[in-house]
Amino acid sequence: MKMFQDAHLEVKKFFSGSFCTNPYEAGWADEAIFFILVEKQLGEPVMTARVQLSQDGVHFTDDGSSPVTISGIGQHFIKVQPNFGNYLRLAVKIEGGEMFLNIHIACKG
Amino acid sequence: MSVDEILLRSRFQPLGRILIYDIFNNGLNGWMTIMPNFTEYPDFDVPKTLVNKDQWPPVMLSTATFRYPGTHGSLSGTYSMKVSTRPTANPYSEMPAEGSMGHAIKRLSFSRPGSRYLQIEAWFSYTAEQDVVDGGDRPQPGLHENSIREFGMGFDTQEGGKRYFSGMRYLNAVDGKLAQKWQYVLSADGITDKEWAYGLEGDWCKKGIDPWWFGRRYPNGDHDGFRDLPDGRQPLIYNETDDKLNWQYMRLKIDTISHEYVEFQCQDRIWDLRGIPLDVVDGYKRIDNLINPVFWVSTDTNRRVFLYVDSVVVSQE
Repeated sequence: MKMFQDAHLEVKKFFSGSFCTNPYEAGWADEAIFFILVEKQLGEPVMTARVQLSQDGVHFTDDGSSPVTISGIGQHFIKVQPNFGNYLRLAVKIEGGEMFLNIHIACKG
Repeated sequence: MSVDEILLRSRFQPLGRILIYDIFNNGLNGWMTIMPNFTEYPDFDVPKTLVNKDQWPPVMLSTATFRYPGTHGSLSGTYSMKVSTRPTANPYSEMPAEGSMGHAIKRLSFSRPGSRYLQIEAWFSYTAEQDVVDGGDRPQPGLHENSIREFGMGFDTQEGGKRYFSGMRYLNAVDGKLAQKWQYVLSADGITDKEWAYGLEGDWCKKGIDPWWFGRRYPNGDHDGFRDLPDGRQPLIYNETDDKLNWQYMRLKIDTISHEYVEFQCQDRIWDLRGIPLDVVDGYKRIDNLINPVFWVSTDTNRRVFLYVDSVVVSQE
């Protein structure tokens, strides 16, 4: 039977501007999905998010996939490309307002 | 007898009835981060609180992979449970900064009448993140041992209408100065609930509850929720660099009938704790018979720190 683990990265907070999620170790997993729940918003915010990889959990780089644009209240997701190694994070930029976010990572392997 | 059973008897000293034997190389086994209570109107909001817990990182299955040596792995294989912080800290004598702590908890319950003793034992290691070299005004500025404020393990328990806390913490550093001594959970006498909450209004906390993040702290390392273990200084193995982990052993035994500590062991040292009371308070609703073992870690500076737990046994008799 496969393992599955969903973990919170940010919980019920307003965000704007640029930030990165706390590094998450997922070396055991074959697949990973970032779930981004926009519970409410101020203004008309638009999020641009990129998946980033790291060898050591300190130095991160974009994983080469196209940035994902997210807007609107509700559930959104970003599927991480295969072969992501161990440390994962999301580099986020929110412009045009604030988003009240829950960000989770769901891993399976 | 399986290899796991052999290792259980050789690495651990379990009491007669084993509640859990969790080897994190096999998964997190139900250990998770303590989260706020999502109970309020209008949208599962969090009750007003002084200490925000939503910045504590989730527990992770860690490979302990570092910049230069690569993957360290664990005592039992590749993975251990990593309890971690964010890179943020307040001075020791202030309320913990959001994200400066990490917690792991497993939620169990009493199941056998008459069990007297409850014990937790674990193989662990700890380190600070190898992020940047500090200023060159001291030897080995790339060695960050003094970035780790504390780590520990213990129990949150309730039965018979009484809730009681127990635990040992390794006070490693206070505002950058190494302390390297053990302290046990027991709140100071004569403390009011308000004082327990840093002298601030607006929290629901009671003296003795949740000493991990409540209780005033003093610049000399004292804490209203912990007391020095007599002869409790014990430099542990930090090794020569942040990326070398040595797996070490600790064990805490308490008496759930007399509400006393019994014994603590770390590495090859054993302390007799008999006669030291647990912190007993009136019980909370809906949690009678609760046994919650916990691990925690705190950073002393703006740097992530990590407590790795390879395996843990909780037992009773």
